[in-house]
Amino acid sequence: MNALPIRDFAAMAPVGILAFGALALMLTEVFLTSGRRGYQAILTVAVAVVAATAALVTPPAGAVFGGQATVDAFSAFVTVVICLGVALSALVSAGWLNARGAERGEYYALVLFSASGMALLGSASDLLVAFIAIEIMSLATYALSAYLRRGKRPSEAAFKYMILGAVSSALLLYGSSLIYGATGTTLFSGMHGARGAGSMLLVGGLGLVAAGIAFKIAAVPFHAWTPDVYEGAPTPVTAFMAAGVKTAAFALLARIFLSSQTGAGVADLSFEKVLTVLALLTMVGGNLLALPQRSVKRMLAYSSIAHAGYLLVGVVSAKVEGARSIALAGVLFYLAAYTATVVGAFAVVGAIEARNQGDDEPPRAWDLSRFSGLARKNPLLAFAMTIFLLSLAGVPPTAGFIGKLYIFKAAVGAHLYPLAVAGILTSILGAFYYLRVIVHMYMKPAEGTEGVVAAPTMALALGGAVLVVAVLGVFGDPLVRLAQAASAVVM
Amino acid sequence: MNLLSIVTFLPLVGAVLLALVPRDEAGQHRAITFTVTLVTFFLSLGLWFGFDVAPGAAEFQFEERYAWMSSIGIGYHVGLDGVALLLVMLTTVLMPIVVLSTWKAVEDRVKEFMVALLVLETAMIGTFGALDLILFYVFWELILIPMYLLIGIWGSQNRLYATVKFFIYTFAASVLMLLAILFLYFHDGNTFDYVAARTALQATPVTPEQGRWLFLAFALAFAVKVPMFPLHTWLPDAHTEAPTAGSVILAGVLLKMGTFGFFRYALPLFPEAALEYRGLIAVLATVGILYGALMSLVQSDMKRLVAYSSVSHLGFVMLGMMALSAEGLTGSVYQMLNHGVSTGALFLLVGMLYERRHTRAIAEYGGLAKQVPWLATAFVVVTLSSIGLPGTNGFVGEFLILSGTFLSRMHSGTVFATLASVGVILGAVYMLLLVEKVFFGPIVNEENRHLRDLSVREGFVLAPMIVLIVVMGLLPGPFLAPARPAVNQLVKRFQEVESRLNQPPQVGTQPPAIAARPTTPPGGAF
Repeated sequence: MNALPIRDFAAMAPVGILAFGALALMLTEVFLTSGRRGYQAILTVAVAVVAATAALVTPPAGAVFGGQATVDAFSAFVTVVICLGVALSALVSAGWLNARGAERGEYYALVLFSASGMALLGSASDLLVAFIAIEIMSLATYALSAYLRRGKRPSEAAFKYMILGAVSSALLLYGSSLIYGATGTTLFSGMHGARGAGSMLLVGGLGLVAAGIAFKIAAVPFHAWTPDVYEGAPTPVTAFMAAGVKTAAFALLARIFLSSQTGAGVADLSFEKVLTVLALLTMVGGNLLALPQRSVKRMLAYSSIAHAGYLLVGVVSAKVEGARSIALAGVLFYLAAYTATVVGAFAVVGAIEARNQGDDEPPRAWDLSRFSGLARKNPLLAFAMTIFLLSLAGVPPTAGFIGKLYIFKAAVGAHLYPLAVAGILTSILGAFYYLRVIVHMYMKPAEGTEGVVAAPTMALALGGAVLVVAVLGVFGDPLVRLAQAASAVVM
Repeated sequence: MNLLSIVTFLPLVGAVLLALVPRDEAGQHRAITFTVTLVTFFLSLGLWFGFDVAPGAAEFQFEERYAWMSSIGIGYHVGLDGVALLLVMLTTVLMPIVVLSTWKAVEDRVKEFMVALLVLETAMIGTFGALDLILFYVFWELILIPMYLLIGIWGSQNRLYATVKFFIYTFAASVLMLLAILFLYFHDGNTFDYVAARTALQATPVTPEQGRWLFLAFALAFAVKVPMFPLHTWLPDAHTEAPTAGSVILAGVLLKMGTFGFFRYALPLFPEAALEYRGLIAVLATVGILYGALMSLVQSDMKRLVAYSSVSHLGFVMLGMMALSAEGLTGSVYQMLNHGVSTGALFLLVGMLYERRHTRAIAEYGGLAKQVPWLATAFVVVTLSSIGLPGTNGFVGEFLILSGTFLSRMHSGTVFATLASVGVILGAVYMLLLVEKVFFGPIVNEENRHLRDLSVREGFVLAPMIVLIVVMGLLPGPFLAPARPAVNQLVKRFQEVESRLNQPPQVGTQPPAIAARPTTPPGGAF
């Protein structure tokens, strides 16, 4: 290795931009002269845009830092999706935090630090790099979920998240050490070096790594933290976590899964069987648990588990050579569509949620009844929420439909009919609980007379998200092509 | 952009236009919507007169093809065969009438109501015009959203239950069709194109087991929409709770999407499986005819009665289709139109009664004929059409279906036809009883003494329907002609399959007993 791998550092520019942006935002607090902080969100958006542009224009450098990271179209795609999540959720945060008098530079800095970890995860191709990236990402999100410390719930959420997150990191690390023991390397590409006696060690290691990742993507049965954390965290943070953490973790999972599938001697590792079971459990569990929820925020938390299940179907479908490109492109497209949709949905939740009275959360802050009559109070907000919910349910012509279509197409192409049927049938349950919100918004009389107004920045974010969801649903072709190009390089 | 695409998307453009008009201008919303639907109708006349019914003409006309989302194999491919043309015309005729009928009935959130109607129209026309499986699926599902809102927002007391039931039933049934479509993608050489799918399935049929599953996946989606017994339970609720406009569209067009789906997709794509399940479907159709009629007999709610009569009428459509003879299929297509016209008109009339008395209970009425003679006359004419009196459109359709079934080669076709005839009689009983209870006899309820007769606007709503009933009853020719090539094509498809499977003939018509008797050929006497 040469002393100063300038080329390698240049290739990681997007990660660096995000991290430096975070530092810049910390400094804004130091040099702050007035109480006005509106520019901080704009600065965050600008950093995200620059990082996304950098990811798009940097020529794919391939393996850097001795193969520990890979900068290719795949990582660029993941970075852009993460930056989309950062930008949208920063705009949502601005209005939300301002209304609660809690807007600070540290908040945006944490978002950007977390995003830099996510972007790094998108190009990680070594278990240790992946571990470091996950830690960067997670430590920032632990702090973010405790950002509004008032009240019990945020503290509970953050504490729970941190403890369980630490366990999952430990699993990941231990799994990595087992894999190192079996193969003598921590590179993903080295996994197929295992043979003979070492192979049991490799199976164990991969299993532990899978469990660690399953925590991050909230796959059943590793999902127990999700509802509490998602509900307890400040709503814009939930939006950011649901979109960003999922995207980054799935990027990692896809890379590891592909390395375990290509290469001699590991085809019998039955990694994909584990993932198949996880996918089934996650789809069924997530949807069933979302069904009885009265709190819309909690319902969206469970539904994010269900969506992780659909994404897992896409990942598993990549095991069949013929369906691999469809599957990976499908997962990437789904992540992009899901990012715009879920940030938008949580933004609406943030707009309607009951304000803190004193120190503790009011009871039923996100209850369905708060959505009653929204179509009369604020028709545009109700319309936006309808679009997001339909996209989450996978009803055409929305981005969510194209995403589901793409993933199930991969599953059918891979002859995984039971998974496809299970996915399709559980999505009916999804339609049921998403529709319930629409029923409340449009068909129930309003409770109370308080108006619902979205802050200008939030309106901007909502408008952007609606646009992305609608346009991807009808003219998604360019993005599909990008996703296909991105998936082609990792195969 | 050809005429068909313009007709399809014009209402959507209108919906966008409406979004820009201020909320409080209800009059403008009504006027714009009416104009848009009327212009759509006049443009669709271009389709009607431009359609070539000559035997050698192209199967799909007004075809248009664009690469849409080609990266996942979805194309924008539209075109009309005769049956689709008839159903598009039915849609474009009904829509201005529906808009006119809601002029007074809908006062609340007029803007959203009209936007929903216009989106619905685009989705309906698109469903009939689509020649790409995913495009079809997109339009098919797009219908659910405006219809869901129509029932849920502007419906009557029990609307929430009804609308959620409607959505979940139809959504659940159609998602499996999506899986079948995805399977076909890989079978047909990576395309979702319908014509390519049909050709590919003809060249390399799927295995019988695959064919069965695929057929069932498609058939389930369509059977719920039709609705076929025993999947019909969403219909009485949805119909009863929907506002008049919703009921008319639901009965007039949406149910036809199910039968159209069988005709266009389930049967020609998987004829082998269709032959296997034909008996079962015919049995369910016959049960539906009788069950729907019997349920209608005992209803005390007018709208519910008409809703159950739809189950019965659509049973006829399905039975005629399963006969797989030219007469049966033609009658089936014709009955789709008839049901759209006559049941649509019935819902309009019931809606008008409801606007006057705000009740749907039959017992509340009685002796109305003297008070509202014009309304009563219209009701009787529509009733006669619904029960298939000769001279009305209903007769042509029912006769073709019954004779087509009777003479078909279907196993025990005669039994089905006989039982269905009982359904015709029952139909006459419940409809005439309804007329008697509502319009004749003494006036018991004092509130019925001072009712307005038809207004001019209502006259304009009903007149086209009555004209259609009479014209289609006396001059069925122009309406049968476009259907003929499509019907022949379907029969031919089944005959090819039969000859490939080396089975005794099951499709087509039995040779008539008398005509088949050997006669001396001309000139043979020498």
